Amino acid sequence: MPTSRYDLVVIGSGPGGYVAAIRASQLKMRVAVIERDLPGGVCLNWGCIPSKALLNSAETMELIHGASREHGIEATEVRFDFKRVIARSREAADKLSKGVRFLLRKNKIDYVEAQATLAGPHTVALAPVAGKSTPPAEGIEAARILIAAGSAEKLFPGMTIGNGVMTSKEALLNDHLPNRIVIIGAGAIGAEFGYFYQAFGSTVTIVELEKQMLPGMDTEVAEELRKAFVKRGVTVLLGHGYQSITRRGDQWSVGLDAGGSTKSIDAEAVLVAVGRGPVSRELGLEKLGIELERGGFVKTDDSFRTSCPSVYAIGDVARPPLLAHKASAEGVAAVEIMAGIREPGFDLLSIPACIYCEPEVASVGLSEADAVARGIEVKVGRMPFRANGKAVAVNQTEGFVKIIASKQYGEVVGCQIIGHHATDLISEVVLGKTLETTTAELGHSVHPHPTLSEAIMEAALAASGEAINF
Amino acid sequence: MSTEITMPKLSDTMEEGKILRWLKHPGDQVHPGEPIAEVETDKADMVMEAFDEGFLDEVRVKEGESAKVGAVIATLRGAGEASQPPAERPPAPTLDVPPAAEQLAQTNGGSMKSRDGESPLAEGLELATTESSRGRVAPMRQIRRRRGSIVDAEKEIPETSSPPALEPEVTPQDKSLRYHPAVSAVQSAAPTAIAAAPHQPLALAELHEAPAAGDGKLRASPLARRAAEEAGIDLGQVRGTGPEGRVTKRDIDNFLREQQLFKFRRLVAPREGLPGTREELSKMRKTIAHRMAASKREIPHFYVTIEVDMEEAVKLKNSLEATELFEEDITYNDIIVKATALALSRYTRMNASFEDDGIVIYPNINIGMAVAVEDGLIVPVIHQCEQKTLPEISRAAHRLVGKAAHGGFSGEDLSGATFTISNMGMLGVEHFAAVIVPPQAAILAVSAVKDKPVVRNGQVVVGKTMMLTVACDHRVIDGVVGARFLNEVKRFLENPASLLV
Repeated sequence: MPTSRYDLVVIGSGPGGYVAAIRASQLKMRVAVIERDLPGGVCLNWGCIPSKALLNSAETMELIHGASREHGIEATEVRFDFKRVIARSREAADKLSKGVRFLLRKNKIDYVEAQATLAGPHTVALAPVAGKSTPPAEGIEAARILIAAGSAEKLFPGMTIGNGVMTSKEALLNDHLPNRIVIIGAGAIGAEFGYFYQAFGSTVTIVELEKQMLPGMDTEVAEELRKAFVKRGVTVLLGHGYQSITRRGDQWSVGLDAGGSTKSIDAEAVLVAVGRGPVSRELGLEKLGIELERGGFVKTDDSFRTSCPSVYAIGDVARPPLLAHKASAEGVAAVEIMAGIREPGFDLLSIPACIYCEPEVASVGLSEADAVARGIEVKVGRMPFRANGKAVAVNQTEGFVKIIASKQYGEVVGCQIIGHHATDLISEVVLGKTLETTTAELGHSVHPHPTLSEAIMEAALAASGEAINF
Repeated sequence: MSTEITMPKLSDTMEEGKILRWLKHPGDQVHPGEPIAEVETDKADMVMEAFDEGFLDEVRVKEGESAKVGAVIATLRGAGEASQPPAERPPAPTLDVPPAAEQLAQTNGGSMKSRDGESPLAEGLELATTESSRGRVAPMRQIRRRRGSIVDAEKEIPETSSPPALEPEVTPQDKSLRYHPAVSAVQSAAPTAIAAAPHQPLALAELHEAPAAGDGKLRASPLARRAAEEAGIDLGQVRGTGPEGRVTKRDIDNFLREQQLFKFRRLVAPREGLPGTREELSKMRKTIAHRMAASKREIPHFYVTIEVDMEEAVKLKNSLEATELFEEDITYNDIIVKATALALSRYTRMNASFEDDGIVIYPNINIGMAVAVEDGLIVPVIHQCEQKTLPEISRAAHRLVGKAAHGGFSGEDLSGATFTISNMGMLGVEHFAAVIVPPQAAILAVSAVKDKPVVRNGQVVVGKTMMLTVACDHRVIDGVVGARFLNEVKRFLENPASLLV
């Protein structure tokens, strides 16, 4: 083994990489982080954070529009500056990105701006990136290397970005509100941007190849979301596959295949939201014989170790689900396993997934169908928000809580929530799952009244047929 | 619809199994995963689980009888007929009420009659006996008592602290209702329960005590508690792997699996025969007889013996103990295993098997350690010794010893050895030779470390020495290799710093 300058070099400063680096520093490792873009990665700069800022603007618009309809508060002539909406989201991203830079410094982690490639089991080669400071050396050595390179937007072959054709990254910077937009893909990103553009008055069409929105999500939840979108005026085309895109005048014409018949939709802008793929191809992994799995994910074992024993991988680059908090949790786990203070293994079924359109969607563990497919005998508790006092009082009665429990022990195997503040509500169930609670504990914990969280308690009780308010 | 239950293959070498005890009787409902019978195999007594849901219909192999693997041993009525009451439950458990207790109940007679005409004592008796026969009552405790009664050495196993407070404030009757009718994996304790029957008040007291007396320190998830309760497991027996040793559902699953896979009565004093009796061969004795005879018949054994100066190894052991560097004390056995593994990695032919058309040199060094059990011996295996440091070997050995004490070997723990060590050092033997375990090519016999005069720097001083004898399969190994290997083991033991690298 060459003389190691660092105990750990982390490639990527996203929510996986920077969190892993800080944890490693806490565990007395000498750590360097290599980043080619901005501190904080996609999450802070091109994902979670700026998109939530935009959605907050959208929700504010919806609130103002609802004010006269529901509350009798007159708000005539609502105007907005879309450039300011976009600028505010960039400010939020910049602030947090600087925060990451500060945290790395505070934890005495060396931050290197460079394009990293693996040159050996303990060596990372550094190439300069245009517009960034020059790397301090051609390469650095470390006892261990952690790949946290993340993921990038997927595109259809032959499609080029620009002139109104966007991925989420371009959409976050696009300060011109399109009058008509086609969104390809009804996953989390498609749903969030669909809600956003609709709230600011664009005519939105969401196209999805699968027969439901949010493919993979519980079908009841997906259908509830579709209804909520349709109610808001969004056109949702399910079972429609993308075929072509052509320029027609100043519009794009998107050709679709609806199970045999074809149709086309014209729009000023097209957002491609067909998922993200791991950034695993430009890291020089093949030189070290590091194996990839289907979809290009880096193959890892229980300890997050790749097929090269000194190289580890976590987050989006390693395996789905592609979620920031999963990457952070894996980063901490990987480093703690390296330090020998944690047993190998990681429970993906306790990782929540959240979608921040309105109504919000949050999920943890298995859906009803998944549980049944795994041979678990389940009982299901449902509680609609229209039967929840707080939801009625604040006029947010869309959606429901659904709890999937095993018949045998009442073990909470999954929970889906669609509704106002669903993404905040799910944490109770996540904690419950981590602690291995059963519906008995969830149902018997006294929840404050009136709150939306009472719906979780009632759903837990409903699983045993003991709900009081429904 | 009736389903056939066949004798499962519970180990690689199992050809037939003997039903020791039916845990379910005709008419009893069974659930998938629920233990239905105890089976004696060539390796161990094991618990057989149901794969299907239904009611036990007909038992075709009686207790004490054997059946070939795959033979139908019982039939199961489908779950569709689940509404039928389990009418034919055999009255056996209540018939086992010992006459003394019955008498006691009768003598107390009228004054103790309760509303329904039964004396409370008899009621208690009924409760205790039937409950015990279904294993609902603190099964682990019963097992422990039985062990204690069989052999004195078992007393050394500390009684576990009281079981946790699963459901405080529960009356015995309530408690029994809360238990799932499932038979626990560890409840092979029917005879013990019967033995306890003459002391009914005690049994009732236990019912009270078991659920109520917890020290409150036991950490377990609600799900783990539910699962443990249903399976009738004492949570205090389960090693928790969650934060701060919290018992999780996975720990319960692992515990159950281990219990069900390989439960055996731990050694201690080898079984003594009663003069003037004839003893039926157990499966384990049959296996030992068959394999050892085959070994001596087919394998041309030769033996090499060497004396090892253990002075430095003793110092190493003592200094490791003094510094408390490792959680578990390093034993002589650990040191010998490590030295043997190092020697085997240089003399790979010792880690081999003879086959008709060739010699297989194993890729890994998996060292089996012969351990005496009640009716013979078993050989738990430390796998991949070539990759393990001394503390890792020590931990692995410790884990196996723990399993030997509490039951619960997995299949892997008892298979795959490529070389065996038989250590009788603790029995004070001067020298012995062991029989090779086929298909291995050699076995190392380790005798006691003794104070002996040795010559050091031309002076006769009191030293600590130990005899090692390796038995080799001459078809694979020639004398020179055997001698060199043994010298290599000696070299490592006499220069034990090398064992720490």
